[in-house]
Amino acid sequence: MSTDATDKGAPPSGEGFAFSPLKPDLAPKVAPCQDNCPCGTSIRDWIAPIAQRESMGLSTEDAYTQAWERIVDNNPFPAVMGRICPHPCESQCNRSDTDSAVAVSSMERFLGDWALDKGLQLPCLTPAEERRSFGVIGAGPAGLSFAYQVARRGHAVTVYDWHPHAGGMLRYGVPDYRLPHDVLDGEIQRIVDLGVEIQTDVRIGRDLTLDELRDRHQALFFGLGAQRARMLNVPGETGPGVWTGTQFLERHNTEQPISAGDQLLVIGGGNTAIDVARVGRRYGAEVTVVYRRELAEMPAIAAEIEQARAEGVEFMGLTVPLEILHAPSGELRGLVVQHMRTGPTDGSGRHVPEPIQDSATELPATTVVIAVSQEPDWQGLEQAVPEGPGPEAAPPGVSSGGDVLHQGIASAAIAEGKQAALRACDIEPSESSEEHESPKVKTERYVHIDRVADHEASAELRLRNPALEVAETISEREFLAEAERCLSCGSCLGCFQCWMYCNAGSFTPVENPTPGNYFSFDPDICEGCGKCIELCPCGFLSPLE
Amino acid sequence: MVQKYNNKISRPDEKDGNKVQPEAVRILTDPDSWRTGTGSGSGHNNAPDPHSTDGLCLTDGNRVAVVGGGPAGTLFSRFLMRTLRRIGTHIELDIFEPRNFNYCGPAGCNHCGGVVSESLVQLLAADGIILPDETVQRGIDSYVMHMDVGSVRIDTPLQEKRIAAVYRGHGPKKSEQSHITGFDHYLLREAVRAGAHHRPHMVTSVDFDSGHPQIKLADGRKESYDLVVVASGLNSALLGLVEQTGRGFSRPQMAKSFVAEFKLGAAAVERHLGSSMNVFLLDLPHLQFAALIPKGDYVTLVMLGDKVDEGLVNAFLNAEEVRRCFPDNRPPQNICQCLPRLNVTHARKPYADRVVFIGDSGVARLYKDGIGSAYRTAKAAANCVALYGYSERNFKEHYWPACRKIVFDNMIGKCVFGVCHLIQRLTFARRGVLRMTEQEQYGAGVAPRMSSVLWDVFTGSAPYREVLLRTLHPVFISRLLWNLAAANLRLPSARKRGVTAS
Repeated sequence: MSTDATDKGAPPSGEGFAFSPLKPDLAPKVAPCQDNCPCGTSIRDWIAPIAQRESMGLSTEDAYTQAWERIVDNNPFPAVMGRICPHPCESQCNRSDTDSAVAVSSMERFLGDWALDKGLQLPCLTPAEERRSFGVIGAGPAGLSFAYQVARRGHAVTVYDWHPHAGGMLRYGVPDYRLPHDVLDGEIQRIVDLGVEIQTDVRIGRDLTLDELRDRHQALFFGLGAQRARMLNVPGETGPGVWTGTQFLERHNTEQPISAGDQLLVIGGGNTAIDVARVGRRYGAEVTVVYRRELAEMPAIAAEIEQARAEGVEFMGLTVPLEILHAPSGELRGLVVQHMRTGPTDGSGRHVPEPIQDSATELPATTVVIAVSQEPDWQGLEQAVPEGPGPEAAPPGVSSGGDVLHQGIASAAIAEGKQAALRACDIEPSESSEEHESPKVKTERYVHIDRVADHEASAELRLRNPALEVAETISEREFLAEAERCLSCGSCLGCFQCWMYCNAGSFTPVENPTPGNYFSFDPDICEGCGKCIELCPCGFLSPLE
Repeated sequence: MVQKYNNKISRPDEKDGNKVQPEAVRILTDPDSWRTGTGSGSGHNNAPDPHSTDGLCLTDGNRVAVVGGGPAGTLFSRFLMRTLRRIGTHIELDIFEPRNFNYCGPAGCNHCGGVVSESLVQLLAADGIILPDETVQRGIDSYVMHMDVGSVRIDTPLQEKRIAAVYRGHGPKKSEQSHITGFDHYLLREAVRAGAHHRPHMVTSVDFDSGHPQIKLADGRKESYDLVVVASGLNSALLGLVEQTGRGFSRPQMAKSFVAEFKLGAAAVERHLGSSMNVFLLDLPHLQFAALIPKGDYVTLVMLGDKVDEGLVNAFLNAEEVRRCFPDNRPPQNICQCLPRLNVTHARKPYADRVVFIGDSGVARLYKDGIGSAYRTAKAAANCVALYGYSERNFKEHYWPACRKIVFDNMIGKCVFGVCHLIQRLTFARRGVLRMTEQEQYGAGVAPRMSSVLWDVFTGSAPYREVLLRTLHPVFISRLLWNLAAANLRLPSARKRGVTAS
């Protein structure tokens, strides 16, 4: 069998062998959580000082402060967003492959509450050389985010809102059981403390003209939101007993509740519809949500739908309202609906429902709430309406963001406020939108740790105490345990394996390590064996192209 | 101390009253034990053994840390736990090994060619460690020696496959061979079966400041032990850190080697290499020794020398003699490579009170059979600790002699490899060696003098001293001289004659 080897073979042919060195690339990598955060917050990087506090010699308090300051660099509302954000960051968490995603929402909420409790102030940045004056219309998440970002850079800013209080949809659209007003007030107050002036009860176009505003400020930001409800255009939709979703929630949140009667019908499948339905249950009404497509296609946050179901909300899918019926006395009688069946899919991938012949039914109702969609209300500001969706469509010195551009989650509004603020301050956005590969995390190297359990109150208890928060903030012990679950995708967490097993000694521990930066690396010493890349559990060391 | 002594008496598991008495006497009579036993925790009862005078001897509840779960660490743990069980002493032994040997590639590997010599296979068997089939990737029954003047095959003296080719990890990178149990994994399992605890943590430093050695883990935790056994090998940064602790220890000097895996597929491995280890004596500068070892679907390349680098690797793999061993006369791109270090000298003073260095961290055999020397030093250290104690003096008297034997043999080994190197460089000498081996392998009834010398040099089965003595035999010398002359005068060899006859 060794004759092949012992006899002289044919002369060598083809390319010769070449040693290919495998050197590590220590360039920063974007974790999937950051990729999926509308705000672009690097969740990994704020969890890191908490999870790695011992390696850096940080007390828990210092670690929390560092983490909180990293969050508020993008988002000045951690306690609010920890409660209401559906956390798209969790959807692509690498941890989902092994057990379940890191509970970013619960952690953000804990930190937000902790900072409120400690009275932490929002950090200011180096003031700009030229102090400018900005005007913001709308004190919702987009407007306040814009105001915060310009104010912390040393500019003057005044926010105008026609409501008696700041907060926009966060105050008037989100029910108190999801977001208590004191939490929102606390986080808004911190922005005011930076020197931001908020003028409430001021309607632009009525109390102040747009031209007056332009005289007062060098640049304007429109964060008007989408306050005006779209109607159904069916007969009877303006009579008594019929409300829009925004009206209903605003009345609830300003403590002038609407008497919903015994039977509340909510038309729509978005977050506003679900909020209305759940508030209705808290008023003691029987509630049915009427949605025109299949229930699985409802755009509302899935967890909210589940909680609504637990609270006794009924759902009717594939049902389209035809007419709202009123008694001769004018009193609301019911809703005539048409039942549908699933049809072909449309451009958005959702099914277009088709009517089922002769299936019109009358549903009795004491209150009907129309919550299908909302749009911005530009009344009095017609000359400022942007011509297109992008920032370049706005006239010079004017920018806008949030629901006024397109309806989305609050996190997106905060992000747009920040981006507009950076542009207004002539700062190039630091996060590149370039395509990048997700870091290759070796999930099998991490031990299984269960995700922190939700502290949800029972549905019965929630209905008995209408203002009770659906879930409690997690405990500090749970918070710290949850921080340990972060895999630190693509960022060095100081496991020391590369340093320990590098034969050449190319890694040197740095004196004062910070997350992502534990070692200095000398590529000239590196022998290119590639062992470190194989050993690195978090995907920080990738093969150098 | 008095309190501890009381604890000792009241321990519920202490059935044998006799054990308490001598210790009490010892503690009271030996003032040293007071000083050495002042650590915290009830586990630190450092009562001396009758054989020992410095009071460092394992007693019930002591804690031993073994840093590194390679062959030295695991064999030491197994020996110690089994010996102590016979004596009736119960200790806690933790093996710190952060690697998971179930991972393919370098993450789960201890980097070496993976050849278990026949003498070691026998020693392990005598200790009850029979390598299972899923660990042995191939039984090696012969060597093929390649030189520019020709190649010759040397069969095992007894026609048996007694050398085991193993993986030190879970196979090469991305190989996904679920049926494999790596050699180190198997030994670690055996150590755990003998009562050791495997703790998958990385030790980042060992600190002797507080009397009892303290080890620090990567997550910042610190733990105190009565004895620390360093078996970290040469391929980690730990040894350098321990060196700085000022206990007189200094690291062995090391040389770089190259280990790579090539995927050929089982059929091609069978066709081109079979069960033969292919050894190359090529005239390349700085190359001491190179071998191709067949294993399942893969072939492992090992290159040793005083300066192995990219250039040497390329020169070697492009050499005609090497290319001939691969399908299509060309090695494929290797899929797994590393540049592990090997000992060229031994450690200075690889022991002190409460610490001992075994395996490559201490003394290893020159170039060959590193696992064999890990076995020997592990056994000597375990016996010393179990039967005598773990003071510096105990190690000097009962552990170091075993190391010294290896050190002495390495000195002879250096001469042997010097001669090998000379043969590598001199064409006429290569011809003579080739002819003499061919005569023995293919001729009838010729005593295998050169074959056995080469066999033992390549396998590391016999001490270098024995090899040297055999080459000094007058028959060996005279036959070598004859073959040198005959080969360079181009007289036909037994092999050539045999081939033409058939």
